[in-house]
Amino acid sequence: MLIKNPKGWEIPESAATSESAYLNRRQLMKGAAAGTILAAAGPVLGGVAQAATEDDPSAHLYPVKQNLRYRLDRDLTPEKINSTYNNFYEFGSHKEIWRAAQRLPVRPWTVRIDGMVENEMEIGIDDLLAKMPLEERLYRHRCVEAWSMTIPWSGFELSHLIKMVQPLGSAKYVEFRTFVDKSFASGQRQFWYPWPYVEGLTMEEAMNEMTFMVTGTYGHPALPQHGAPIRIAVPWKYGFKSAKSIVSITFTDKRPKTFWEELQDAEYGFWANVNPAFDHPRWTQKTERVLGTDKRVPTLIYNGYGEFVADLYKDMPQDRALFI
Amino acid sequence: MIPWTDRSGRFSPFKLAILVALLLPGLYIGIGLATGTLGAKPIEVATHEIGLWTIRFLMITLAVTPLRVIAGWRRLIHVRRMLGVATFCYALIHLSLYVADQKFNLGRVASEIAVRFYLTIGFAGLVGLAMLAATSTDGAIRKLGKKWTLLHKAVYVIAMLGLAHFFIQSKIDVSEATVMAGIFVLLMAYRLAKRVKLKLTPGALTVIAVGIAALTAGLEVVWYASATGVDPARILQANLDFSFMVRPTWWVLGTGLAVVLVALVKGIDWSRLKRAPLEAAS
Repeated sequence: MLIKNPKGWEIPESAATSESAYLNRRQLMKGAAAGTILAAAGPVLGGVAQAATEDDPSAHLYPVKQNLRYRLDRDLTPEKINSTYNNFYEFGSHKEIWRAAQRLPVRPWTVRIDGMVENEMEIGIDDLLAKMPLEERLYRHRCVEAWSMTIPWSGFELSHLIKMVQPLGSAKYVEFRTFVDKSFASGQRQFWYPWPYVEGLTMEEAMNEMTFMVTGTYGHPALPQHGAPIRIAVPWKYGFKSAKSIVSITFTDKRPKTFWEELQDAEYGFWANVNPAFDHPRWTQKTERVLGTDKRVPTLIYNGYGEFVADLYKDMPQDRALFI
Repeated sequence: MIPWTDRSGRFSPFKLAILVALLLPGLYIGIGLATGTLGAKPIEVATHEIGLWTIRFLMITLAVTPLRVIAGWRRLIHVRRMLGVATFCYALIHLSLYVADQKFNLGRVASEIAVRFYLTIGFAGLVGLAMLAATSTDGAIRKLGKKWTLLHKAVYVIAMLGLAHFFIQSKIDVSEATVMAGIFVLLMAYRLAKRVKLKLTPGALTVIAVGIAALTAGLEVVWYASATGVDPARILQANLDFSFMVRPTWWVLGTGLAVVLVALVKGIDWSRLKRAPLEAAS
């Protein structure tokens, strides 16, 4: 009897794409209604995803070519699940914010890039999309709340944008800010929270190849609940590090004080690198519930992306602060 | 004893109504679990919902004695045991759902209970409720005599453990836990007033309602100031803003004022009101 132990990087057979399907992927994707991904989205969300994104001026850009360098060790999470279970405090502190989030106006949308850069700019999202090389990447997403999902993100590497604006040598950090507008974001009526949502990375982290600016999901423009029209994905850190619906990117020499650091720095710190060895005060981080399955699987250090990112931290103390 | 009969064995619609009301939330959550309408992490949602009903039922149980005194609803005593036992059952389901969510890995459940303080005290509360439920039979009440009353005073400690468990498990927003804590303090205030022989007139009850509502706002501020980075001044200020939610202090005030209303209604001499028109006619 042949027993096959898959290596960590091997994807399950069920997740593998046949060569013919891969070579014909554009045709497959364009036949959206028949496409496996949209079928997985199910009738409920299929409608939502279409309604939310069919008027989107960037709709024609998707789907984009998948970058096969980034592989998964598990199946993609069905879109219906990924799009109805989200943290987005701007729209409430429960997981079913997706309905409220449909009020997010994704156009017009401008992103301000400022601070310690040669080329400060305020750029419309569609102009930005035209300048950046779009690709699709399949990433794991590990929430600090011990659940995870896998998502086909579309977008571009943050490093491309950084090269475009040319930061000064004095820039040490990049700060991301989300919109503030309580007229449509009901959660922001909780004025006692430190809006806007602020997140930050070091320059080295921001330049890492894994750091990805997301503008699309599942082969179409990103849905509001995922942080349309532009968010970040930092897959080796807990999910809250990946700010949604970004309106400004600032280069600075001061470490940003993040939204969650301000609220509870002992539980949701600045570094927040995934590590099963350091528990959250109220739950274990050793395992994670994989959404869309009934599985609980071991959590991997740096969410399994150590080969890409572990070097960033090799000179730092490997203590709790780095992983909380 | 069958839960819908009274002590003489007669059918009691009142007791049946309470029994059905106690079963409904569990049934509703159970249907949600069975039909898959509880979202991507259904067992966790069910755990939280059942836990919320546990603490609600505990507060309703603790409301029996004050309401008997203030409203004169003597019959409430007939459902107190049922309320208490239901609280225990919900707490047990709450733990069972947690165990199911941990894939029945009892070793991990045990170590989590030992390591996480909020789980330790939650479990201690459940053990306490089990002890009270086990000694709630007629036989146990007779056998324990005066000791029974003393033993069942443990419910106050259990309530505090449950409330602490609720507060600590909350991510950042402790509004619901604060409402429950405020109502608990309100129910304790009625007991204290009785102990110091304060007459529970509508006036005195109003003072208690307003005082405990203010205390609730204070408690909330202390929590946010000590456990989070939220600006406590803003939490106080939030009590004047209704655009997002009705904040805990108002829920507690509303509960306290509802009790005042009950006392006022009780104070009305209905026989005189009914007679008045007749007198006018003659």
